[in-house]
Amino acid sequence: MTTHLEKFRSEVRRWCQEHIPPDWRAAQTGVDDEEFVRFQKWWFAELHAAGYAVPHWPAEWGGGMPIAQQVVLYSELAVHDAPRLVLAFVGIHHAASTLLAAGTDEQRRRHLPAILDGEIWVQGFSEPEAGSDLASLRTTARHDGDEFVVNGQKLWASGGKHADWCLLLARTDVQAPKRKGISYFLMDMKSPGVEVRPIRNAIGDSHFCEIFLNDVRIPAANLVGPLNSGWQVAQATLGAERGMTMLELAERLGNAGFRWLVQSCPVDDPIVADRLAQFEIEITGLRGLCTELVEKAEAGTAGPADASIVKLFYSELLQRMTDFGVEIGGLSAHTQLVKSSSSGWESGSWVLDFIGSWEWTIPGGSSEIQRTIIAERGLELPREPSAL
Amino acid sequence: MAHDFDEFHAELRSVAGDLLAKDRSVGWQTLVDAGWVGLEVGERLGGAGATFSEVAIVCQEMGRAASTNSYLGGAVLAVGVLNGLQPSETRDRLLTEVASGTTRLAVALESSEFVPDAEGADRILVVDDTVGVVDATVTPQPVLDETRRLATVTADAVTEVLRFEGDPETAVGLLRNRAATAVACDSLGLSEAMLTATVEYVKVRHQFGRAIGSFQAVKHACADMLTTISVSRQLVSAAIEAVAEQRPDAGVAVAMAKSHACSAAVDIAGKAMQLHGGIGYTWESGIHVYLKRAALNRSLFGSPAAHRQELTKRYSFKGV
Repeated sequence: MTTHLEKFRSEVRRWCQEHIPPDWRAAQTGVDDEEFVRFQKWWFAELHAAGYAVPHWPAEWGGGMPIAQQVVLYSELAVHDAPRLVLAFVGIHHAASTLLAAGTDEQRRRHLPAILDGEIWVQGFSEPEAGSDLASLRTTARHDGDEFVVNGQKLWASGGKHADWCLLLARTDVQAPKRKGISYFLMDMKSPGVEVRPIRNAIGDSHFCEIFLNDVRIPAANLVGPLNSGWQVAQATLGAERGMTMLELAERLGNAGFRWLVQSCPVDDPIVADRLAQFEIEITGLRGLCTELVEKAEAGTAGPADASIVKLFYSELLQRMTDFGVEIGGLSAHTQLVKSSSSGWESGSWVLDFIGSWEWTIPGGSSEIQRTIIAERGLELPREPSAL
Repeated sequence: MAHDFDEFHAELRSVAGDLLAKDRSVGWQTLVDAGWVGLEVGERLGGAGATFSEVAIVCQEMGRAASTNSYLGGAVLAVGVLNGLQPSETRDRLLTEVASGTTRLAVALESSEFVPDAEGADRILVVDDTVGVVDATVTPQPVLDETRRLATVTADAVTEVLRFEGDPETAVGLLRNRAATAVACDSLGLSEAMLTATVEYVKVRHQFGRAIGSFQAVKHACADMLTTISVSRQLVSAAIEAVAEQRPDAGVAVAMAKSHACSAAVDIAGKAMQLHGGIGYTWESGIHVYLKRAALNRSLFGSPAAHRQELTKRYSFKGV
């Protein structure tokens, strides 16, 4: 068993050495959108050719890698500082897990192979008036014959301008209590009436987008799960992917992230060294939590707050670490005005990484929302009075 | 196999938890009769032939109950020292007597100034490059934490000198790792007890017409306690495994677990006192017992800063 795993590890190592371009970071620093998309699609195809792009999918769809091997794979990709799959992320994780859990056979056959061929997905959940209170979303989908007609506005759609398809939550029953009137759709981004506008974020990037939907017609066949059960579908698939994706991020933080921090620090200063040791301890704890979450998710024994604990702890650790990188880097840290795209959340350009770390503490359920989930689901504390 | 161990561990945890919850002060003979003192003593010497992993479970339950007894000095440290010695008649006799409860030992590991559980011990094992079996004058060092007994030990007569099996430095390193991990387990159990007590309290305490546990300021503090404990749990498990398997690099996992779990326990017991409000500050509530024990644990066998300093020695070359 162990020797089998070690054999796999050396396979992955060899593959990494042969396939990861040694100069990719420099080459991908300050590139335009077109080059970013080209590089992401090329890297996805490389991983896919090796069987490393969607190891978490079922075997019949091109995955089927045992969990223990996936852990080894992500750890080695991190050790070798591989580019991160940014563009394909929503497709291979959220879209795939939604289709596998709640999609029809036809929907799976249409989209899963397409995702492997490079189809890009975006998540259309949040709205201007529906952030933390996602269930109060106002975008409507009106049933009209074989179609739904969608009107509204989506916000924070990461990667929206490159997306081919959108995972869309829209209200199909305006009379029902707010969580019971939402449906889940697959929307072709080329449909007439879809307009994407990039939003410039705090670090100057524009991968977040607004999506305006004006009488967009979606075929009824693109409804996922039963009508008005979109909230349940979204809840079931949102947390499902968290384990392995968090493990990958934890491994990156523990490898390149920590290595860069040590390299940029005067380690002979005992106060600096002490802070580094605190980070190393916290990263070690995080990696343990991620591995355990992956194993428990596989065994079906994950606790109701486990994924939230990991998300909260990672987000805030990333913020503290990148903050320290800026502090220790002095004024010269502030002169690093570009970072390599396709990088992890820590790139070594500490000031950009630090400002960018709010992209972890705010989206995907803010740290405040995570704490409420941990307390209410993990510790069974009384719920706050909430609107229906 | 792993599954069998899991079941055995769960049972040990449950039995230990029940027994220790009955009375904060547990007599030595009770611990002997429960089989916990001789857990790591070989079967042919009357022990259970178990490992440090099982001892660690007992230590965690000791912390959960803030139990007052001599387990740390008389079992965890003493049996650890004896098991590390070259085979000898004295070693086997002492192990047999410890397991049967006829002799209780204490261990002066890092200094003779703050020796745990020395008071009332029949002999003291003084650890240096060798181990001296010592008759000693024991002067109690009263500490604010009333659940622990520390004392200054002055050797009157060395009755025998015993040698470690193998390199003494390695053997002493292992003993330090065992001691630090045992205390980290204690702090983890203590933290879990404080979270449980706090969650129960904030569910029933009402102010402004609501259970205070429904307020975000309170529930988010509880969520932070759970998150911190989850991290401690990972680090402590890793340390237990490294020590039980006597890995050469066990010191790394131990330093991480000791510094994190023991720092966190003080924060958590402190937050428990805060969230219990005025009642938490009373003597009767008992929260102070945990806070004091947590603070003492943090100082026992290496402060968090000292353990982190051990870790930083690995950073001196560029690129860990």
